[in-house]
Amino acid sequence: MDTGSMDRIVKEALSVGRKVLVEPEAKEVLRLASFPLPRSKAVKDVAGAIDAAREIGFPVALKLISPDIMHKSDAGGVFLNIMDEQEIEEKWSQIILGVADDYPTALIEGFLIEEMVKKGAEVIIGCVRDEQFGPAVMFGIGGVTVELMKDVSFRLAPITREEAFEMMGEVKGFPILTGYRGQTVKDLDAIADALIKLGDIVGRIEGIKEFEINPLIVHERGAVVADARAVLR
Amino acid sequence: MHKKNNLSAFFSPSSIAVVGASEATGKISGVILESLRNSFRGAIYPVNPRYNEVMGLKCYPSIEAIGSPIDLAVYALPAGAVPEAVFNAGGSAKGAVVVSGGFAETGPKGAALEKALKEAARSTATRVIGPNCMGIYDTVSGLDTFFIPRERVQRPGRGGLSIISQSGSFAVTAMDELATDGIGVARVVSYGNKVDVDEADCLDFLAEDPETKAVAIYIESIENGRRFIEAASRCSAVKPVMAVKVGKGASGISAARSHTGAIAGRYEIYRAAFKKAGIIELNGYEDFLVACKAFGLTSSAAGKRVMIITDGGGMGVNIADACEQMGLSVPGLPEEVEEELRAAFPSYYGVGNPLDLTGSATDESFAFALSKTMSGDFYDMVIVAALWGPPALTDKLPGMLAQKPGFTEKPIIACTPGGAYSRDRIRLFHEAGLPAFSTPEAAVRAASVLSKGRWRL
Repeated sequence: MDTGSMDRIVKEALSVGRKVLVEPEAKEVLRLASFPLPRSKAVKDVAGAIDAAREIGFPVALKLISPDIMHKSDAGGVFLNIMDEQEIEEKWSQIILGVADDYPTALIEGFLIEEMVKKGAEVIIGCVRDEQFGPAVMFGIGGVTVELMKDVSFRLAPITREEAFEMMGEVKGFPILTGYRGQTVKDLDAIADALIKLGDIVGRIEGIKEFEINPLIVHERGAVVADARAVLR
Repeated sequence: MHKKNNLSAFFSPSSIAVVGASEATGKISGVILESLRNSFRGAIYPVNPRYNEVMGLKCYPSIEAIGSPIDLAVYALPAGAVPEAVFNAGGSAKGAVVVSGGFAETGPKGAALEKALKEAARSTATRVIGPNCMGIYDTVSGLDTFFIPRERVQRPGRGGLSIISQSGSFAVTAMDELATDGIGVARVVSYGNKVDVDEADCLDFLAEDPETKAVAIYIESIENGRRFIEAASRCSAVKPVMAVKVGKGASGISAARSHTGAIAGRYEIYRAAFKKAGIIELNGYEDFLVACKAFGLTSSAAGKRVMIITDGGGMGVNIADACEQMGLSVPGLPEEVEEELRAAFPSYYGVGNPLDLTGSATDESFAFALSKTMSGDFYDMVIVAALWGPPALTDKLPGMLAQKPGFTEKPIIACTPGGAYSRDRIRLFHEAGLPAFSTPEAAVRAASVLSKGRWRL
């Protein structure tokens, strides 16, 4: 785990007065910890987006990069399964106009063009730093309703593999990962790896206050980080 | 930092000074002196420059004037006078219990006094419990600084349970209930604002204290989380540690912006901390009392398999339901045990788990059922729900069960729902050394708590 480079990413963001890591930065931290990530490229304009999409190959995801918008999809800043160049242009304008209306002061740093992740079970993996107890890792069944359902479990980091499995078993939605209603059994070891590693990252990089992978898309073999964000101290 | 743990002055003192001693009725110091004269076996020195004698004991103008070093000084002075008094004592008392209120809990002025007290303690190398606390009730040394008159709040007898509590009133109320139920304690510490000695220090001491068999903690807030987890882990490795945390509604990470940050309230973090430290989580005062009674009278269960023996079929099923809800299992009888019981009992007994001895139950049938079901490795504990209607049941029942015919270790939890007659029987179970509860749910909660002592798993 290249903690030196992780630390640099965090310090650079802090040095320009930012309180968050935007998605490409958060994912870079995860890449340094060997998390599996979809191929992606950060771009500044439509032409760059089209080039990137060609390089990665359609369909792609188009996502807004803004340090002022934490939950991009709620803000209309995410479009998935974009099939061609024309659609990129359409969705690009749609995001820009939507942000201009709803978040006129938000800084737009650019966009992320990303390979579409194969469907799977969506889980949320997070870590918060508590002032008294240090980093605590969270596991939950993913999606935007996670705050509503609160079907999550916590452990203080660092966690063992056994604790990671306990965390999974504690949520009510656990059967979704183990073949509920004809679904395939998902790669629980990959989830455990992610939980353990995320706890390690926050444990080692002092500048991180919260780090969240939502969703982590879990397949029969492996799990891919579809989106990530971090709050800095 | 790991503080040097020298709390022996608090738990095995041979001499005590009561600073601010007075004969005036209703005064805190008077209650403390009275208690000490009642139960403390060491030397007692009242300190107050205004008297030559208090309660027939020679009174000294200052701690220094006693002339020989003493183990413990109890300060019952107005907050404003405490820091100077501790400083002037100059370390001639190894430990200090400051029961006075009026410190950080009251605002900035009190906080400044607390800082001064901390400084006085540090510079004189005095360990301090408090301020704003009730101090120590200790059945081993006979020390009692809880300044509530004994006619208002009973003191428990000697036992193996130790309680540490940020709140004095919480501790003292639990003590009173335990005393009424005939359940003993080893040490009770109310440490209030914890200017020096905190829960982690107490846990370090209790982990190694042979008199303490189980520890119950009441927590409002913990400052040094990692140190607490270390100390609690060491303690829970050798004896059960359970805790109630109040103030659950408090929100966590302020201005949190991720979903994780929004969900992670303070209580979720405390729960995670308890899990890390092997602490059994208790949910409120009632749960705290149930756990204190359970661990005060018996030790933990090796697993989650519960046998239910009753003379009321409906109560048995109700208990089985509660067990399932609380994550305990109620496995059926093994074939050989079932056959043996069927052969021995009338055909109208409900042989199974729950085992229903019906209105024809006798003391002997309870004891026989207990012996047959608990002697093999089929169950980890038993809930005996005795309804007292059957005329053949006598007051000998608790004593017969407590002999644990055919087994030794496994906990027996008694449950006697009902009115006045049944409630009076609870005392008989406690006298026999068995935890007993008046509702099935409380009995099952006790079973659940006993099954969580992980150090034996």
